[in-house]
Amino acid sequence: MNENLLKETPKKAGRARLPAPAAGDTGRLPAGTTDIPDNLPAPSSAHPRKRNGVKVPDRNAPLLSRDGLYIIRRNGEYHVVAESYFYKTEPYYAILSLEYEGKPVRPSSSAVLDAYVIPICLEQAKAAGIPVCEWGISQAYVPLPAVLYGLNYFASNAEYEIVTDNESAKETIRHITNNGKYPFCFQKFPENSEICSCTAVFGTAVGACSRVASYAEALYKIFSIPLMRMVFVRTGDSYALSSLSPVRYSELTEEERGLLSANLAPQESP
Amino acid sequence: MSRLGIFVDRRTLANAEQLTALIRCRDTAEEMGHAVDFIFPVDIQKIRKTDALFIRARTDPMNVTYVAAKMAQFNGIPVIDDPMSIQVCGDKVNMYSRLLRKGIALPKTAFLSKNDLTVEHVATLFDRMGSPLVLKEPSTSFSLRVERVQSVAEFFRVARRFIRLSDWIIVQQFVESRYDWRIGVLDGQFLYACKYTIPTVTFKIQASVNGHIVYCGVDSIPRAEVPPHVVRLGIKAANAIGHGLYGVDIKNNNGDACVIEVNDNPSLESGEDQCYPDVYRKIINHLFTK
Repeated sequence: MNENLLKETPKKAGRARLPAPAAGDTGRLPAGTTDIPDNLPAPSSAHPRKRNGVKVPDRNAPLLSRDGLYIIRRNGEYHVVAESYFYKTEPYYAILSLEYEGKPVRPSSSAVLDAYVIPICLEQAKAAGIPVCEWGISQAYVPLPAVLYGLNYFASNAEYEIVTDNESAKETIRHITNNGKYPFCFQKFPENSEICSCTAVFGTAVGACSRVASYAEALYKIFSIPLMRMVFVRTGDSYALSSLSPVRYSELTEEERGLLSANLAPQESP
Repeated sequence: MSRLGIFVDRRTLANAEQLTALIRCRDTAEEMGHAVDFIFPVDIQKIRKTDALFIRARTDPMNVTYVAAKMAQFNGIPVIDDPMSIQVCGDKVNMYSRLLRKGIALPKTAFLSKNDLTVEHVATLFDRMGSPLVLKEPSTSFSLRVERVQSVAEFFRVARRFIRLSDWIIVQQFVESRYDWRIGVLDGQFLYACKYTIPTVTFKIQASVNGHIVYCGVDSIPRAEVPPHVVRLGIKAANAIGHGLYGVDIKNNNGDACVIEVNDNPSLESGEDQCYPDVYRKIINHLFTK
């Protein structure tokens, strides 16, 4: 049964909520203690129409607005669709809220962390049989040529640097480590290699070769991230996964946009 | 002979007290018949060669300690702190949600999204929780990015700064106290207790005052001298998070104890365990008998 249900939280349309404790629990607490965030004023919404208590967008409202956060329900599971799933962002907290409500949700909060922390992403992908770049962690030295990613609180998995000589490596490392404060992740970048990327929408890489399409499917099985960019190091005919990163809706091709919209569209009244 | 890995980073070793504590941990493990390796971030692949991993560096889901914890988990190696504890304790929204769900006593707590940062909303929070309020950025540790605010204008000034780092922030009722209890809990069992005496010039356990860092006083306290309800609350709060090693901070005003936070990777280098000489032995034993 496809019980699609669409909930859009457009930009500035309020926030996801974490659950209140059971009334009994609150009653047991000492005076002057716990109250709960759910008592905050209700969020405003650009699309206040409700169906079974769940906000649904106006049929004429544009889908895939910038920073749009969509929650669909399919086969009893909630799917959180967003451009990015960075730690401590609205999509991350939307996932966390659903988890604390005890609802089955994809991706899970731990899956998005794992997908966005590059060494963990690569280890998980490797365990699933996907070829991945050899990686290491360093504070300063890096065997050249290499692909470098920051590995700290302020780093983004969407940003990488290719370094081929010591001079550029030194400058790049200084930048991504905040002057040596943090370690970084490096990957070997063999001669005659190039970086290529491909977008996956619900595990489908539109127009990709069968091999990359199978990687997209496998990565969706691991992380369940509806929208992600797969970054590969291509050497000859072989592809090695380098990272997974966010995708802006505006960067989607017509076909990818169509596929995502089809997945978001309500197919059955809730 | 089992091999214990102690994951450290440069910052851990830069501090003389932490270095002394690490050596004490290593000596204890060796006395117990284990081999010990200090593992640095660059040696992260060596984790798979250990039989247990003890992380002693500042944990965060976005830094290398989370990679270390995950590497241990992938390889079936017992680890403190485990990835889930790092994920939950590293984000106070996650941590407080979990504590609330389990009915743990907390100060009045609200989560504020950047989309809800309006004058009306903030005024409502003051009405509900009183003044002053405490604002926390979710990844705060060592009282960094924890501020006390008295007015709506001050609230906005601090909140805007924190919201640059997180889409949600935490707003809490201010609970006055001269000291915090720290209850150390390992796998649901009481491990140690100490008092963090808050410096008179601040309301935090650590703060920068006129350009100088002021630290709290640390006094290890025998269990018999800790109010039993504080111990019970500490254990209950730790159990709400998981089965690892936690330091639970509790304020106990007029017998109304409430949890301020649960820390993974609790500090052990400032004399917290002075009355508890077996702390490292228990931790190591726990890792190898898991």
